[in-house]
Amino acid sequence: MDWITTAVNGALLGGLYGLFGLGLALVFGVMRVVNLAHGEFIVLGAYLGVFLVAAMPQVPPWLMIVPVALAGYAIGWGLQAGVVNHAVRTRDPLTPLMLTFGLSVVLRNGMVQLFGADSRAIDGGALTSTGFDLLGMRIGVYPLLVLLLAAALFAGLQWLLRRSEFGRVVRATADAPEVARLMGVAPERVFNRVMGLALAFAMLAGFLLAQRTLFTPFSGVERMLVAFEVVIIGGLGSFWGALAGGVVLGMAQLLGQKFDSNAGPLYAHLVFVATLMFLPKGLAGERR
Amino acid sequence: MPPLLELDAVDVFHGDLQAVFGVSLRVEAGQALALIGANGAGKTTLLRAIAGLTPARRGTLRFDGYPLAGLRAERIAALGVAMVPEGRLLFPSLSVEENLQMGQLTRRAGAWTLARVYELFPVLREMRQRPATRLSGGQQQMVAIGRALMCNPRLLLCDELSLGLAPLVVEEIYKAFARIRAEGLAIVLVEQDVARACAVSDTMLCLLKGRVTLAGPSHHVPRERIAAAYFGE
Repeated sequence: MDWITTAVNGALLGGLYGLFGLGLALVFGVMRVVNLAHGEFIVLGAYLGVFLVAAMPQVPPWLMIVPVALAGYAIGWGLQAGVVNHAVRTRDPLTPLMLTFGLSVVLRNGMVQLFGADSRAIDGGALTSTGFDLLGMRIGVYPLLVLLLAAALFAGLQWLLRRSEFGRVVRATADAPEVARLMGVAPERVFNRVMGLALAFAMLAGFLLAQRTLFTPFSGVERMLVAFEVVIIGGLGSFWGALAGGVVLGMAQLLGQKFDSNAGPLYAHLVFVATLMFLPKGLAGERR
Repeated sequence: MPPLLELDAVDVFHGDLQAVFGVSLRVEAGQALALIGANGAGKTTLLRAIAGLTPARRGTLRFDGYPLAGLRAERIAALGVAMVPEGRLLFPSLSVEENLQMGQLTRRAGAWTLARVYELFPVLREMRQRPATRLSGGQQQMVAIGRALMCNPRLLLCDELSLGLAPLVVEEIYKAFARIRAEGLAIVLVEQDVARACAVSDTMLCLLKGRVTLAGPSHHVPRERIAAAYFGE
């Protein structure tokens, strides 16, 4: 029974991991840019959360998802409009890669300078410590809500991309930016909004994770590794695959931790390697 | 009243390589101009310059008296210049209907709506939910034309409508072309079939290695003169 409980909790953690991958997959899918600073933005979301929760102690911490996500959108929009668009315009895939790599170094050290190198966590209040019993398992209310939120965000993004005019423009721009311009679309503006969405997801996920795991300014690398693995396990370009990839990774990590308390993440990485070997197109890739 | 499109001594470059040399032309509202010339004569490059995709390096381009210099392609599209690009270039991730709807983004009002495009090409209505690039070549060309019409342009640039299509399909496309012209928009047409190009246009212009070798009304041009302008003898 213990093991099943652990597996369920891993699946709940997976919703968060899926959100990590979502922004990365979105940016790569639309503008073919691998954002190497993705992990640092996840951590930035956590620090912003620390600040907001401390500044407004009377507001329940979970409500801070709104300002954190909005800040993520604004930062992503500004980042894309300010620098990344110039890098994309060179048409050399290496330029945005170098840019975001440099940005990750600057962000990491900037956060050390501002916040110090100590480990921190966000106290999520009563919500994070309550749970309920289901079929003999102890389920945390907070992880369950996080998974539901992640699923809702995935569904919302899916709807946005498949059904709305904005989604149509995003898909067309991803296909052929130059032809989209003939239709009156400015690809740079589309990219601004896509990066905004991606970083909103990233910072939101970072804030949510900070309520259950410690973090430091150097946690970004680990977070980005998770994001990459989620995208690859799920299958490049598949959003629901990313959520499934997150769930697989979360379960592998928690089960691994139970089995060998020193090396939970190792088992998640092993699952990733196994996926590469046996399902190189990812969970969603094989079906197509 | 100024002509709808006026080019004066336009030079266009691909990187360091000059493709169009000092081309001047004018298209009046509602008129059709045929651009003819051998492969590599600079026809497509000239269309791309008008659409703003490959901006001209020298010379002036005016649309309805308004200078196009320095305008991005998306701004020029909003002014009412639409293009049916060579090779159709549909959006593979979008269905037929979604491809057509992309034309509405310029928010220009006019006669062309989804219903009118389906009326012009009834076969597209049946295929509306299919991925656009799964269609036959001729149907894809219809989508590309429909997508451009949905912009409700005042000037339509058509690059090689018949490229790679069976003769019967080409017939069908040009039948639609006559109905499109009846709406009164101006057209610049690039076409390999010289006789057809002259038959469907009011004026013609022949390019040879990026330079104008012949220009004038399309009808009653002696074949020898076209041949000389086309091959440069």
